[in-house]
Formats: sequence, C-alpha cells, structure tokens
Amino acid sequence: MISMEILDDILLKVEKPARYIGNEQNSIVKDLNKVDTRFAFAFPDIYEIGMSHLGLHILYNLLNKENDIYCERVFAPWIDMEDLMRKNNIPLYSLETKTPLYEFDFIGFTLQYEMSYTNILNMLDLANIPVLSKNRKEHHPFIIAGGPCAYNPEPLWDIIDFFVIGEGEKSTLEILKLYREWKKENKNKEDFLDRVSKLEGIYVPSLYDVSYKTDNTIEYMEPKKETYPKKIKKVIIKDLDDIYYPEKMIVPYIETVHDRVVLEVFRGCTKGCRFCQAGMIYRPVRERSFNNLVELAKKLVEVTGYDEISISSLSTGDYSQLDRLVKTLMEEFKDKNVALSLPSLRLDTFSLEVIEEIQKIRKSGLTFAPEAGSQRLRDVINKGINEDDLIRSVKDAFGLGWSTVKLYFMIGLPTENKDDVMGIKDLAYKVKDVFFNLPKEKQKGNLKITASSSCFVPKPFTPFQWFGQNSVEEFYEKIHMLKNNIKDRKITYNYHDPKLSYLEAVIARGDRRISKAVYKAWENGCRFDGWAELFDYDKWIESFKQADIDPEFYAVRQRDYDEILPWDFIDVGVTKEYLIKENEKAMNEELTKDCRLGCTNCGISTTFTGGVCK
Amino acid sequence: MIKIRGKFIKEKHLKYIGHLDMMRLFDRAFRRSNIPISYSQGFNPQPKISFATALPLGVESYGEYFDVELKEKMDIIKFINALNNQLPDCIKILKAVYVEDKKSIMALIKWSTYIAEVKLINKMSKQELVKQIDYFMNLEEILITKEKQKKGRTKKTRIDIRELIKKLDILDYDDKKIIFKTTLKTGSEGNLKPTVLINSIDEYTNIKLNKDSIKIQRLELFIENDGNIIPPI
Repeated sequence: MISMEILDDILLKVEKPARYIGNEQNSIVKDLNKVDTRFAFAFPDIYEIGMSHLGLHILYNLLNKENDIYCERVFAPWIDMEDLMRKNNIPLYSLETKTPLYEFDFIGFTLQYEMSYTNILNMLDLANIPVLSKNRKEHHPFIIAGGPCAYNPEPLWDIIDFFVIGEGEKSTLEILKLYREWKKENKNKEDFLDRVSKLEGIYVPSLYDVSYKTDNTIEYMEPKKETYPKKIKKVIIKDLDDIYYPEKMIVPYIETVHDRVVLEVFRGCTKGCRFCQAGMIYRPVRERSFNNLVELAKKLVEVTGYDEISISSLSTGDYSQLDRLVKTLMEEFKDKNVALSLPSLRLDTFSLEVIEEIQKIRKSGLTFAPEAGSQRLRDVINKGINEDDLIRSVKDAFGLGWSTVKLYFMIGLPTENKDDVMGIKDLAYKVKDVFFNLPKEKQKGNLKITASSSCFVPKPFTPFQWFGQNSVEEFYEKIHMLKNNIKDRKITYNYHDPKLSYLEAVIARGDRRISKAVYKAWENGCRFDGWAELFDYDKWIESFKQADIDPEFYAVRQRDYDEILPWDFIDVGVTKEYLIKENEKAMNEELTKDCRLGCTNCGISTTFTGGVCK
Repeated sequence: MIKIRGKFIKEKHLKYIGHLDMMRLFDRAFRRSNIPISYSQGFNPQPKISFATALPLGVESYGEYFDVELKEKMDIIKFINALNNQLPDCIKILKAVYVEDKKSIMALIKWSTYIAEVKLINKMSKQELVKQIDYFMNLEEILITKEKQKKGRTKKTRIDIRELIKKLDILDYDDKKIIFKTTLKTGSEGNLKPTVLINSIDEYTNIKLNKDSIKIQRLELFIENDGNIIPPI
C-alpha cells in the first residue's frame, strides 16, 4: 500500500490533487482480510471523465454488494502526476486502499472511445505490469475489457487477456465466480482462459487465429480448438427493472463532467439512425418502469445531496412516460431546489410541455442535433426529422425565452455533396431568422447560435460499416467552405479536428495488426490522444510507419459486402443482412420507420428477447 | 433572519479540496441532512451559506467558520449532529451558535493563526534562529513583489507586508526543520498567506528554507472587538 505520507510529498505539486485521494462520499471501504477477489475498475482517462460514467457506478456497487469481492477504482493520472509518480517510483494505485494495481486479481478497463487506448497501455506500464498479454506471468492480474468499443476488440487483442461483450452487469459476476473456483484448484492461467472462453459473451483473443489475403483483407478467423465458440454472442439483461441499479453513487469532491444524479430510463434506441453504433449494439430497447425510476431518484438524491438529476438514455424523448416522470420529479423535489436535465432530447419528440416544466427551475442553453444540413442527407442517415420540426421547436423555445441554441452536425456522411454541406449554414441562418421574425417584445435575450460539425467516423455494426471515410483533405475542404460562408456575428461555427477523426476511424475498424501501431504510438509517447493539447498526429503517423501499416487501408477504403470484417465473429443480434439492407436504403434516400411503430426485422428479436421486441 | 454561525475543522486528505469544492460539499451535505436552509431567489437559487475566508489548498485547519441562514429555527445540538452525520470524516463541526449579527462572517475576520513546518537547508543554533527572527520582526518594512495579470501582461508591484504580520514565534526546531507559529492579517482589509511569509523569511534572513516542503495548519480565525482580538464565537 502506498502511504499518505509519500503522496503528501507530491500531491501539492499537481493540478487538482483530489483526483488521486479517493475517500469520497459513498465510496466503499472494506476489510482486506475479509475479501478474496480484488477487482480494479479502470477508466483510461482522467478522474473527472471517468467518474461521470454511469457504467462505473453500476459495476462498482454491483461488485461490492458481494462480501468477498472488493472493487476499487483507478483512473489515468494526468501528465503532471504521471511524471511525479515515475520520478518517485510510485506505481499506479487504486483510490480506495492505495494498493498497487499489480496486487489485484483483475483489472477491468472500460473502452468508451478509441482515442483512450494508449492510456490503457500507459496505465499498465505505470502499474509495473507488462503491457503485452504474452509477457505477463502467472502472478500478474488478468487484464480484461468491456464497453462499446469492445464490440471490435481486435485493435487491443494482444494487450487484453479477454473481452466482455455486452452488458457487463451479468458477465462480470459470472467471471468472478469462475475465478474463485479456478483459484481453489491451483491451475494455471491458461486453464482459466480456456474455461472463461466458454461463458457467454467472452472473447479470449489468444485462442483464435487470423489469416490475411494478399490484398490485406481477412482470409479467415477461426478458433484454435473446436471447443472454443466460433461466434461470440453479446450478453444483455432482459428486464431492466430486475437488474441492479445503484442506490448509492460516489459523490466526487471535485467538479466532474456530469456532476449530478444520473437516472437511466432505458437502454437501446428504436430510431435506427444509420450512423449510430449505440443504436444498433444496445438493442433491444428496454425501459425501466415509472415507479422504479421515481423511487430511485428519491433514494439517489437522498444519499448524494446532488442538486440536479439527469434523465439519461440514447433518446430520452422516446421514454413512454416522460411527461409524467418529469412532472412527478419536479413536484417531488421542488422544495429542495433539485433541477432536472434532459440531455438527449430529439427534435421530433421535443415537447413544449416538458420544457416548460424544467424551465420553472433553471434555464440553460438548448441543444439540437439535426446531424445533417439538408433534408436529403437526413433521409440518407435515417434521421427522421424535417426542417419544419426544427423550426417549430426553435420558435417555441425562443418564445419561452431561450436565446442560446447549439446545433450539432456531422460532415463526411455517405453521399454528401456541396449542397448538403452548405445546408448546415442555411439551417443556422434560418434559425437566426426565426428569432428576428418574432415580434420585438418576444425577442428575449441576446441571440447566440453555435453550429458545430464533427467528422463522421464509420463504426462497426452500423449500416455504414463498409463506408470509406472522407480523407483529411476532404474534411478540411468542407470545413473551410463553412468557415468562409458563415459570417454572422450571431452565429459561431466550430469544428472537430479531422485528424483525430481519421485516427478514430483507423482504430474503430481496425484488425489485429492495428494493435502494433497502438503499441508503437504509446512507445513514442502518445497518451491522452483525445485531448487536443496532447494529441500528436505526426507521432501517430510515424507509429503506423514503424508498424508497417497503411492507415488509409482502414479509414478511407470502401469495403465490399462480402469482405470478412474484423468484428464479424461477434453476434450483436442485429444481422448483417439488415445492415446491408439499411445501407442500400440509405443510398436510395429511403427512410426506415422507428421500430416502436412496428418491427423492421433487424434480427434482434430472433436471438434476444426483452423490451419492446417481446 | 435566522442565522447560525458554525466552527469546523478540515484536516488530513481533505486539505486537497479547494474552497469552491468545499462549498459544494457543504451544499450537498446540507441537502442530505434535511436541515431547512434558505435559498436565494431567482432562476438559479443558491443556498445561503457563506464561509469566513478561503483556506489555501493543502492547508489543514482547526478553526474555520461559516454562516448559514435557516428557514426555521431548530435545536442547535440537532443541527450539529445532523450536519456531522453527512460530512466526511475529516471535516467536523465543533461548535455552532445562533447569531443576531447582521454582518457576514466574511467581513468580520481580521487575523489568522498558523503553524508552519519547513525543512531547513542549513543547520542553525537556536540562538541564531531567534536572533534572525528578531531581526526580521524589527525590519521597518518587508517588501515583496506581487505579480498581477492585467490585460494579458504581468504587472509587478512591490508591497510592504510588515504590518500584516502580528506575531512570529519559533515553536520548535531541530537540525532538519523549524516550526513557526504566526498570526497574520486575514480578510478583505489585508491578507497575507503563510507561504509568502516563509518566502520572505528565506529572502530577508540567513535562515534558508526548503520552500518545496511546507506543511501548514491554520489554528484559529479572529475578529476584532474594541481593539481585542478574539475568536468569532
């Protein structure tokens, strides 16, 4: 254990030392003599980001409910802390008991975004644990990973011992149960990997072989033994009300990204936007019941003392009882000054009534995500919103006194042309006109419109998984076009760095060979790649060269339908046939309806039951 | 107006929590405790809690103060217990009283007493240390350079801090370290941080100090009453 005296010598020299001390309200303290399995939940980014992640709170409390398991937390130390830790030979430690990570049984990383991968390598290294799986010995912990990016696990195949595909609440307990049995038998790690590979949703990459064709595409991928599963099926929880939801949440001392109670109203999404990975991999939609949510909200406010509840999901406006939930919660908490926020409201479900309820307490800026500038392109991506919806919503909002509007777009979507790009500008100007066409006395506040564009990154398990991403140059052309044309002091145009999106695309659809580039990049000093101030594109390009990899092959190459994709061995329930059909419809600008209105045959209901697909 | 003035300690790892984060911590602790505190009016209602003075990051304190307004009166012992139940182990309410005082605690504070432990670079005899401190305290003026950011430029001004030091004693020392006890001006009429004092001792005397390893504790805050210096409650 690392003593507080040692830490006292360095903590005052770093920015935000409270990131590294633990001991927060509702964090869990256990007697180490009474636990037999120690699990470190590792988030490969800084504390403030990791602590805002709902999955952490769920898994942390779920595992700690078991008397003989102790789950602790660890985050990536910021560079100032890393520097001092290395200088003073302090290994990466858990926040709860300040135990070096190499003493744990498991280190479980959550993969939320590709650009956090180098941090995983760096955290292992900081913990004095060999970065590559094959170099780790019997006494080292198992390094495991889950989360949305684990749906294409291959870019980390030689770092992570095994991956958990799907919703970790179920698998993790099963893994730990198996682990305890295995530990009693005194067998080696290889034996454990063999056994764990038979659990549903577990992928052990070292048990599989991949071979490539001369054109660099995959020839085959197969298990080394007959007994290993050929397909890895994701694990889901059928009924959200049955599944554990924490009645306690750790309350950080310092301000985090989401510093509030998070209430998960449902999982999955029925909209079927064709660019969206979450909308495909988290199917089927499963709602938590109204009564359950109200009870949870009360308990969570009571144990945290937070002054805000965020009603969260992929598309909160779709929650079947949203109006009732909002009204009930507002009434419940009005004396305690607890505000509500609805971060994922969509235009088409944007209800005036809901906004008015929320407005009674606090007024923040409004955010809309039309995603594409033209109706044609919105149809391609199946974002079932039309301009009239947007204009009406914006008009209502202005009428109610809002004056700050943010509009989110993507550039580089499939079939995009110049008119589509300029549509972003047009829409922003139309929103401005809505404001100034209101009668003078209704124009409240100082109008501020922000239009932001991110660069589209094609993701596995979406209808656009075959699409060749725009090149960095194409992205810049489009950005310049918008920059040069949006000239209005009421409208600000922001854009994301295309270079970052390019790398994201390489890794997101990478195969096993990408792992080498990630390793090289880390060796060359890359970490916190998602942070603009530390992102070093040239170092990455150099790393690809050293790993003998052509990043263009992964980012901008259009794939054929019959190509074996690196993630094809994972079964998310949504079939490849459905994805192909959706991609074809996209090219024909055809819409697919919300599947709450009738099944669209994505395949999920044949393999998984639960939620709206019963 | 129903107002309670409370005294609390903040120690151990909680010294790494800055002033703003501590204010949020109290806000949440009050909400969990169900103590009926008052909120300001408007779109973004804020709890009516005010703290005497900001404690620098890394400093432990055994005498911090706050004022809080309540919607209705409650038993003071119940108030203390309810709040302590919701505060982390290293923050503890020691004492609380109802006050009629219209003035906020912030405006009342004039002095702080600190203990500062610093590593010595050179070994010195006690006699010599005392002589050096006497010399320091007898200086007519002690000038320090204060840097201020103004329109992106750094503006340097020299200010005299002698009047801001009321007392400076050597509490203990050995070959490696020295422990000072000092009373320094605090609040809106003038404020001196103990780290600035340590730097000045290093600059103006022969006592050479390792400024990277200063451990500071605040012992008490003081108000002035008819020329007397007394604790706020």
